[in-house]
Amino acid sequence: MWSSFKHQALIFLADPQWIIPNIIAPFVLTLVALLLFRNMTGPVVLYAVLGGGMMGMWGNTLYSSAYSIESDRWNGTMESVLASPSPLIWIVAGRTMWNALIGIINAIFIFIIAEVAFQAPISIADPVLFFLALFLTLLSLSALGLVFCSFFVLTRSGRVLTNGLEFPIYVGTGTMFPIALLPFWTHPLSLSLGPTWGIDAMRYAAIEGYAGLETGFAGDVLIMLALTGVYLAISIWLFVVMEKRARRDATLGRF
Amino acid sequence: MGFSLSKSGRVFWSSAVLARKALFSWFSPSLWLMQLFTISLFQIAFFVYVTKYVNNPDVSVTYVAVGNALQSVAYVSVFSVSNITSEEKWQGTLTPILATPANRFSLFVGRAMFEVFNGILTVAIAFFYAAVIFGVDFSNTDIVALMLVVLVTSFAMTGFGLMISSLGLYLRTAMVIANIFLFIGLLFCGVNFPVSYLPSWLQPVSHAIPMTYGTDAARAAVSGSSVFDISSLLLQELAVGIAALVVGYILFIVFENVARRKGTMEEF
Repeated sequence: MWSSFKHQALIFLADPQWIIPNIIAPFVLTLVALLLFRNMTGPVVLYAVLGGGMMGMWGNTLYSSAYSIESDRWNGTMESVLASPSPLIWIVAGRTMWNALIGIINAIFIFIIAEVAFQAPISIADPVLFFLALFLTLLSLSALGLVFCSFFVLTRSGRVLTNGLEFPIYVGTGTMFPIALLPFWTHPLSLSLGPTWGIDAMRYAAIEGYAGLETGFAGDVLIMLALTGVYLAISIWLFVVMEKRARRDATLGRF
Repeated sequence: MGFSLSKSGRVFWSSAVLARKALFSWFSPSLWLMQLFTISLFQIAFFVYVTKYVNNPDVSVTYVAVGNALQSVAYVSVFSVSNITSEEKWQGTLTPILATPANRFSLFVGRAMFEVFNGILTVAIAFFYAAVIFGVDFSNTDIVALMLVVLVTSFAMTGFGLMISSLGLYLRTAMVIANIFLFIGLLFCGVNFPVSYLPSWLQPVSHAIPMTYGTDAARAAVSGSSVFDISSLLLQELAVGIAALVVGYILFIVFENVARRKGTMEEF
């Protein structure tokens, strides 16, 4: 996983323009939200900024999940990667971790623009807890990305599916608004997503007097960790199943 | 001239038919339908819920839902169209195509024509969601005017997409720039808030994108304005779309000549 993480970092440094497609949507969406929030002050703006950061990480994770397999197919390296003794999931996990980490660049841009262009007062109430929540949310997003990525082993339409998965997560996890605004029947879906708890934990750590989900910071973090474990277990199982199926049907490099 | 026109027409038609066949050779109809039905839904939902949360007096749910429904055309008429030249590069078909004497304008505008149809379908579905899921009131809507807005916007934004596609001939890929222009409309075109929210030095950018006129015209049509009432907006939108197409064609010819001279036709 570490080698794959480093390899992905080198690929990124060789051609950094590819970060633009991955983070442009969350970046623009956050700017739009900040303009809509312009008459509001204080913690509400921070709410938008944190949501933007989360969207940036998810955007990058999702694209890297899709392209991780697809770029191997295009480059003709898929068979070589699978022939190596390392399980595919850890190779993809390293790549996904790097891309989620790079998604933080988007969050930094958003912070700078909020401070400079919107003169929004951005201060984090508890930086230690905030960065802990941020790191764990990063892991949770990566694990969720792995679940989706396992399906991309079988399909040549990873890119198309990716486009359809970006906004549902932004909406479902309540990146820019409380999930209480969503229809009641969607709440179980939202609560089954680790990042929903992650963004709530980040808000608890960043915003003084924030009243979000009843579980509080510690509860949010524990539930997110549990969900991350579930995602990992599902993705490990799915990768084994999908890989076997692709080998059996000889459809690995088909595109 | 007549003969030349008929040849150009034939190239245009065969290019349009081939583009549709090429799309479905790698894209299953079920995935195409899935994309058609999901892509606008969650974008509208995202901004509708943000709007409900911020309760900004200038921006209502109808304002945002109509704006985003129309803007969903960008996924096909900007993003897909922008990638036409890049995809030819990736597939290794750009050089053989440009070795033919076929009229470039007919060839590449023909390639984009299926996306005009695709764009109209995408927006129609998005307006259906706006009415059924997000409760937008269409009771006063002038349907003919709204249909005309969708048609003109789809054509004009395809012209805009073709302009970006020309850059793909010069760049390694148009994918990066296509992504930027896919979402930039959300910020510049009055989709989610009035253009006046932008700093004054940025507002001319809004007026250089056809969608800006389209969103105003669509909202007017939804609130009951007739075709005559919105004709000025539609003409401006069409003019900007045609201007983008002409600029795109000039860029295409320039970049083709540069690529031929430097031997960089398929450099990526």
